[in-house]
Amino acid sequence: MLNFKKPRHRLSTESTDGLRLSDLKPGEKGRITEIGGSEQFRQRLIELGLTKDAEIWIDKYAPLRDPLELIVRGYHLSLRGMDAQKIAVERIN
Amino acid sequence: MNFKIAIAGNPNCGKTTIFNGLTGARQHVGNWPGVTVERKSGHYKFSDNKFDVIDLPGTYSLAAFSAEEAIARQHLLDDEPDVVVDVIDASNLDRNLFLTTQLIELGRPLVIVLNMMDMAEEKGLDIDADTLATLLGAPVVPVVGRTGEGLDLLKEKILRVATEKSQKTRSIDVIYPRDIETEIERINSLVKANNISNRRHRWTSVKLLESDKQTRDEVRDLDNGSQILDQTNESVDRIERLFKDTSRAVISHARYGFIQGALRECVSENLNDPTDYSRQIDRVLTNRWLGLPIFAFLMWLMFKLTYDLGSFPMEWIDMGVVGLMNFFSTLLPDTMFASLIVDGIIGGVGAIAVFLPNIFILFFIIAILEDSGYMARVAFIMDRVMHNIGLHGKAFIPMVMGFGCNVPAIMGTRILESRRDRILTVLINPFMSCSARLPVYILVAGAFFPDHAATVIFSMYILGIVAAIATGKLFSKTILKGMSKPFVLELPPYQRPTGRSLAIHTWERGYLFIQKMGSVILVGSILVWALGYFPREINLERDYAGEGKAITQNYSIQQQDLTLKYDASVELSRSNYHSQMIAFENSASFLFLRSQYDSLRTHISSQEKSELFLLKQTELGEITSKRWIGRLGKVFEPLIAPLGFTWREGVALITGFVAKEIVVSTYGVLFGVGEDVDEENQGVISGLRSSGMTPLVALSFLVFTLLYTPCLATVAAIKRETGTWTYTLFSIFYSVSLAYGLAFMIGYFGRMYNWLS
Repeated sequence: MLNFKKPRHRLSTESTDGLRLSDLKPGEKGRITEIGGSEQFRQRLIELGLTKDAEIWIDKYAPLRDPLELIVRGYHLSLRGMDAQKIAVERIN
Repeated sequence: MNFKIAIAGNPNCGKTTIFNGLTGARQHVGNWPGVTVERKSGHYKFSDNKFDVIDLPGTYSLAAFSAEEAIARQHLLDDEPDVVVDVIDASNLDRNLFLTTQLIELGRPLVIVLNMMDMAEEKGLDIDADTLATLLGAPVVPVVGRTGEGLDLLKEKILRVATEKSQKTRSIDVIYPRDIETEIERINSLVKANNISNRRHRWTSVKLLESDKQTRDEVRDLDNGSQILDQTNESVDRIERLFKDTSRAVISHARYGFIQGALRECVSENLNDPTDYSRQIDRVLTNRWLGLPIFAFLMWLMFKLTYDLGSFPMEWIDMGVVGLMNFFSTLLPDTMFASLIVDGIIGGVGAIAVFLPNIFILFFIIAILEDSGYMARVAFIMDRVMHNIGLHGKAFIPMVMGFGCNVPAIMGTRILESRRDRILTVLINPFMSCSARLPVYILVAGAFFPDHAATVIFSMYILGIVAAIATGKLFSKTILKGMSKPFVLELPPYQRPTGRSLAIHTWERGYLFIQKMGSVILVGSILVWALGYFPREINLERDYAGEGKAITQNYSIQQQDLTLKYDASVELSRSNYHSQMIAFENSASFLFLRSQYDSLRTHISSQEKSELFLLKQTELGEITSKRWIGRLGKVFEPLIAPLGFTWREGVALITGFVAKEIVVSTYGVLFGVGEDVDEENQGVISGLRSSGMTPLVALSFLVFTLLYTPCLATVAAIKRETGTWTYTLFSIFYSVSLAYGLAFMIGYFGRMYNWLS
């Protein structure tokens, strides 16, 4: 009835092999290098402050492992794993 | 003077609190034309001036991606408010100022409200409001919306800006990097050649450079439109080559650059003690292990409170309705008019009015969940589940509420932001088996499956959930395909709701129910009353009164016979009695005769009663079958005959459209035990069993009752929330087809494999 498969955060091999937002673990920090996906999706995220070079802090995953909660520009935002996969990041400490 | 004020701001910035603070109770809620986005307006007086205030939908931007953004933008551009009040969450300045940069470009006189100053201070932020005002070119008023601190100053600033506006236009612009400014200037020089409102030049040029479709369409009609568009294409190309990104993204990034430059000058962070108490609360409420159990408990509590707490005023209203009906039926002579008033209007509308307490309590609880910030966490926790059906996490709440009553549940879909999600949730909600269907299950399952009633009833609930999920999946892949938006959800800080805003939110939504349901229910009730009342002249096939008299006569003769025989036996016995010790009246033989006589008498009178009852039942059945409602049932009989249903089921289902529990009282009328039956009434149960219904047909009937068209009040709610008859009629059509199909298949395969026979 319901599909409780673990959300896939696997990297697709044909795209860049860089780190994705969905690869970060709770408590890890990253800096956005590139946002993929549709024009509307990108624009929405930029408007919300997920700009290039913005710092992101993964706070936690939801009890059912999806979506995830992150902190950007001092506020809390939630994204689904499949959307977070479209965001390339570099890990920072 | 009369001034028009528009309040703009991000979602969750406390915009509505400011709106409530300014206007108090003097507000009006409606919809924006053509869309089901709430439109709130109100007014207030300040130093002899009247201010009409519009609370625009909360938006992150004016890009016109969503209906809310399009509305906010159109209002700001076309209705030209005298002052735009931009509400900003001081504890979250970066993102809130993104909208401000667009409002500055829009060129309407601006007042900026720094809301939630208390939370910003708690967060360790020190904001220099004066410097910010200089940098943004608009007065900045710090306010604590929850306490109303700073509202008087805000009113004063609004007045000043409103009266100053004729003298000068603002000189501050959002400054972009030099390469972008050059292109803006190129476009601007061409735009300026037209006499569109002076303030709009820069807005138009920037929007053109952002490849904004709406602005492009507007410019096309200008005299030098094609020239402007040529220049725009050239500039966009140049920017995109230079920055290696879309021009829209480049400008959005530049806006954030401007914001950060401004904030560097007026905000100092004191991060010694950053107590993010919201995160502390979330450690528990969205905890990996505790999050779901706590949510389940809160849902259970909400359900419990809505229906348990609501049952007291429900009883009072019910008593009031019955009292009114009694009052009017004694007051008015027994005419058609009296029946219309008592049975049609008071009875019909009263049946819906009893739901008012439930609805108000539910809306109150939802207001608490929304105002406190927990609603966003619900979406966070449940998104994984609802995503499967193509829905947003928040849609879980109306689904659960549907088990109580679909009407408040469907109205509760207002918590969903996207129209597509609202429509989908509205369409699948009626399959959640509401409490009104339970009496029907209990009656029919009790009559035909006395040993497995609980299992049958439970499986109805499960079937409803399965139907909702399957329909959700089907619709999100077909008719509502591609309208889905990415899940981007802000989790705002937790807040203690204020009593005032809870009261306003509850009343606003509850009042809509009173207003809209009242009218539809009224018409529907009168219609069903008329169907059951007309035609008055009926030719009955049998002389029921005569037959009744004959029965009574027959039995009274039997009684007389019996008494005569008894008297004779007593006399005989007395003459043979010789004992002096015990009086005859106390003797064993007399007592024996007496008890025999009594039991025979009771037996005869009970036989009489049951015969009269059967006659009455047949009579009422015949009367109902000859009224319009019965004729309608007969008309539908061939249609529902393949399901094994008779005209009685037809009548029950038609009246069940008004409210599904009416199916039970309709059976009561059809089997002659009167309307006032409950689901355990033996007369109806035996009537059902003797009517030729088989357990298999009973099961089909249950499935049909579960799935077929939602009741009248729910249909009205669907119409109200989707805003179109198309979806409303589609919902009716779809659910009836599904009910018919499933009921038919149960009967078909049931007969084939001899189930339940």
